[in-house]
Amino acid sequence: MTTDFTSPQKQAPIGILMMFLATLKDLFKVFWVVFIVAVLKSDNTNSLYLLTGFVLLIGITGLISYLKYVNFTFYIDEEKNEFIIHTGVINKTKTVIQLNKIQQVNVNQDFIQQFIRVYSLDIETAGSESKEVEIKAISHELALALKEKLIHGKVVPKTEGALAEQYQSATEEPFIKISFWSLFKIGITSNYMKSLGLIFAFFFTLYENISHVLGDDELENGPLGTFIAKGLAFNAVMMFVAFLMLGVLLFNLVRTVIRYFGFKITKQNGTLVLNFGLINIKNSIVRPERVQIVSVSRNYFQKKLNIFQLNIRQAMNGEKDQRKTAMEIPGCDENEKNQILMLLFNELPTQGLMVTPNFRKLVFSAFLSVFLPVLGYFLIGKYQDSRVYDFYGIAVFYCVLTAVLLWFGFRNYRLFINEKYIVKQSGAWDIENKIIEIHKIQAVSTSQLFWHKNLNIGSLTLHTAAGNLSFYLGNYTTINDYVNRWLYLIETSDSNWM
Amino acid sequence: MGNFTNEPIDLSQLPRYETLSFSSLHPSYWKVMVINIAMFFVLLTTGAALGIIFDAEIRENTFFLIIALIVLLVLVIIFARLSFCKRGYVFRNHDVIYRTGIIATNTVIIPYNRVQHVALHEGFVARFFGLAKVEIFTAGGKGSDIQIPGIEKDKAEDIKQLLMGKIQKQL
Repeated sequence: MTTDFTSPQKQAPIGILMMFLATLKDLFKVFWVVFIVAVLKSDNTNSLYLLTGFVLLIGITGLISYLKYVNFTFYIDEEKNEFIIHTGVINKTKTVIQLNKIQQVNVNQDFIQQFIRVYSLDIETAGSESKEVEIKAISHELALALKEKLIHGKVVPKTEGALAEQYQSATEEPFIKISFWSLFKIGITSNYMKSLGLIFAFFFTLYENISHVLGDDELENGPLGTFIAKGLAFNAVMMFVAFLMLGVLLFNLVRTVIRYFGFKITKQNGTLVLNFGLINIKNSIVRPERVQIVSVSRNYFQKKLNIFQLNIRQAMNGEKDQRKTAMEIPGCDENEKNQILMLLFNELPTQGLMVTPNFRKLVFSAFLSVFLPVLGYFLIGKYQDSRVYDFYGIAVFYCVLTAVLLWFGFRNYRLFINEKYIVKQSGAWDIENKIIEIHKIQAVSTSQLFWHKNLNIGSLTLHTAAGNLSFYLGNYTTINDYVNRWLYLIETSDSNWM
Repeated sequence: MGNFTNEPIDLSQLPRYETLSFSSLHPSYWKVMVINIAMFFVLLTTGAALGIIFDAEIRENTFFLIIALIVLLVLVIIFARLSFCKRGYVFRNHDVIYRTGIIATNTVIIPYNRVQHVALHEGFVARFFGLAKVEIFTAGGKGSDIQIPGIEKDKAEDIKQLLMGKIQKQL
């Protein structure tokens, strides 16, 4: 075992197997329908061709995996402080990452990797042109040593034992451990809409794939089609809704538990190390100085159960990476939440002066999400198909629900301004508090519609390296006062935002 | 709050960004905008002319098509003029401010110590008038960058040098 990264290294040899399996998995993901159809429709005459095809496919995949393995090397250039990776079988690529640009190093293990006991290591960097880099198969010791070296740029302990010990001591005393019970509580109280969307997406893909294989006619005239036609009956709708709700709850619960099982947070040299996952074990690092936005959210049920959800966003490259750099900490109680905030900010942000939105914000959102849809409903009823009036119950239900949500959303919409922090509270059901530190602001923009000039209301957007924080239709004089004040604070201090 | 101290500052004594007088874009930039609009309308009119020549149905509505084109041109010119007049920028000691917008007045402020990099962009038409666009980028994502068009080339170069100097000093 060597922890010397100055000379070019290959991945763990077992990685060939891993890449082989991963490529097969990807192939199967894309072509599973084709495979199944091929197997189902084959008779004796062409089954030989089919078999040869499969064998060839597997052989080629194996060869490609081997060539990829041979051509993948990485090393650290200590003089230039760069991490260099060579990849590519035909097109050779050399990726150079400056060590001080590295934002985050994650050591993960997915299902296949767990099976053959290797880890993957991926590197996230700051800077517009840099790409994300991943080493797919690396042993645990090597992964940790490389991670240590990449992040701290200092000499790693040479002996394997010491390293293992260091890691052990880190894993042995996690300062926050989220119990199965907390995950259970979060699972049944959050992400209803997201799960609903995922379930719909799942059924839609299933439906589409089935209809591809069977053909559309069969599906529409078959039992499923009749079911859908009959399903319009009111009772069936109610049944469907009940099933859906139950499905969402169960799905949510399973998803949360699988994703976050055994969630542990460990303190390590002033950084937070997060470990979690049942099938895919993830390990990622949060460095307090890189944290840009922290949001704390909870809904009514979660308030009764005394749990919070935390979301930590670190500096990122582009919009598309936003989800990746956001760290979710599900289900911690008041005390644990405060401990995490203490570690990130060295104090507990207080809310401070409150700015409330103008009532026009409520009027505007009501116009968008109640008035326009209702107008559309009546227009369709009048000019297209008067049968939509049969469903007036749904329309009334929608209006009442949206109105209530909007009202609570408006009541919770607040901006709190403090000496060092800005906290934006929003949300109707899930009430979210987004906290940013003033010195992490990159740019400020304000906006005012011309007919709001005399009313003295306007909007504010604070840009940080991890996304924007906007507050619409507040008192414009107050907003401008604080903008001037924040600019003063930013421009007179040298504090590093990252 | 512990050992955190904050020198008493009077909010009303701080320099106010919203009362500044903004420098407007170089008058020649209006010509650049007009030329760009003209080029667009030449394309549009060509398309319409082809339609009139080759399609009988469009030919029947030639009159309306021409009226529509003229109305569109007038509207675009009016809005472009308004937009041109509304734009303004200020380079202060510690930050740069850019204001745009007809219906909503948007103001973006970037403190110099948050600037990531500065670029000069010379458009095809703008080059003939000796104008350039100064682009100022920050690490904050969407909507946090400033692009000021219609600045004289020399002045733009000076601004770039000034900003680069400010960035260098911080490093």
